[in-house]
Amino acid sequence: MLRRTFIACLVTGLAAATTVPVHADALEDIKARGTIRVAVPQDFPPFGSVDLSMESVGYDIDMAKAIAERLGVGVELVPVTSANRIPYLQTDRVDLVISSLGKNAEREAVIDFTDAYAPFYNGVFGEADLTLAGPEDLAGVSVGVTRGSVEDLTLTELVPEAVEISRYEDNNGTISAFLSGQVDVIATGNVVAAAILERNPQRRPELKFLVKNSPCYVGLNKDEPALLDAVNTIIAEMKADGSLNTISQAWLKADLPADL
Amino acid sequence: MAQFTVFDILRNLLLATQWTVVLSIVSFIGGGLVGMLVLFARISNRGWLRLLGRGYVELFQGTPLLMQLFLAFFGLALFGISVPAWLAAGLALILWTAAFLGEIWRGCVQAVAKGQWEASASLGMGYFQQMQHVILPQALRVAIPPTVGFSVQVVKGTALTSIIGFIELTRAGTVVTNATYQPFLVYGLVALIYFCLCWPLSRASQILERKLNVAHSHH
Repeated sequence: MLRRTFIACLVTGLAAATTVPVHADALEDIKARGTIRVAVPQDFPPFGSVDLSMESVGYDIDMAKAIAERLGVGVELVPVTSANRIPYLQTDRVDLVISSLGKNAEREAVIDFTDAYAPFYNGVFGEADLTLAGPEDLAGVSVGVTRGSVEDLTLTELVPEAVEISRYEDNNGTISAFLSGQVDVIATGNVVAAAILERNPQRRPELKFLVKNSPCYVGLNKDEPALLDAVNTIIAEMKADGSLNTISQAWLKADLPADL
Repeated sequence: MAQFTVFDILRNLLLATQWTVVLSIVSFIGGGLVGMLVLFARISNRGWLRLLGRGYVELFQGTPLLMQLFLAFFGLALFGISVPAWLAAGLALILWTAAFLGEIWRGCVQAVAKGQWEASASLGMGYFQQMQHVILPQALRVAIPPTVGFSVQVVKGTALTSIIGFIELTRAGTVVTNATYQPFLVYGLVALIYFCLCWPLSRASQILERKLNVAHSHH
């Protein structure tokens, strides 16, 4: 008897829970809700980091706030890691991913991308006394990279097989590996290395060579043309009126490249 | 960017430690209650209940906690059931803890000599009377050290909830490291805080072990 009641409760509960309506249009949902939920990084300066009171700050956070403001809605920042940012989008916990997201074929298969909103050049960085002109010089050098990142995929194709690549779960692991001397060089973004240099660490990641130009895009779920259009329009406006350049100056200390 | 002093780092880590502590307590209390049910299922006279208990334990001990958290948070969402992070974390940790505690306690109950069951039955006690007056008090003495010992695992297990967005101690350490680029200092402090949480538990376990290890000393 007790078991039957229990099963009945379970079934009723599941039925109630699964009748949540499937959203029709993300942009309408955002307007109706009055807030846009944006996945932002928290461990990837200068795109996303924290201030003294653990509030998120950075290029991506400013971008998220600007998009929300121009849509006329509030913003809810959802801190994510590079490993879970796409699941957050796919399970409808966020509307946009603004998390220094590079574009590649695997990602394009599951989510959509807007136009580029930030420049990002991947390179290999190491201490000043190390001479490396290109990927072929990496033999015998230990390289740290974030698993599954654009620089990982690019570098894996470029380097000779003998190169020892250590893959870390997140950017934090990669940076820590370099700072602590676990690896000789790291492959990461030029702006990331610049942010590290700004702190004057004992081991300084100086540029050895650039690997790929891989700008950042805003990620959103597939089949959301209205939201895609709205965000693309905002990015174009921000490029035209100079407000995106202001963000770039603030966080990257450089003007936006003309070809972005 | 703002410059963090050691005090700032410590303050932010300690704020995040609150989550580690809350999650530990929730999973331990919730896991203890569900673990009791698991225990009674595992030692039941009914075959199907024993099987159910065993299946539960195998399922939760045989899969990584990280996967359980991921499924509770993202898996259910794919079916349209949107679970907030605190619920997913609490649920997964409680179910995981319950599987281990239930199994630890089953071992402790079964460690009580069979003669105790027979003797209490011969006094005309029913199942629950036997449990209440004879078996559980003896099992409890055996159970305290491994139970307290396991609680240390629970404290450290809460670190995995960062995958579903909890800024607990480990995650706060990661975030602060990348705002300061001082991994040695930050992770050193994180380790120290974990030690301060876990060491008293380990110590309590040792003391209780000495005080209560009388179950076998009276033979």
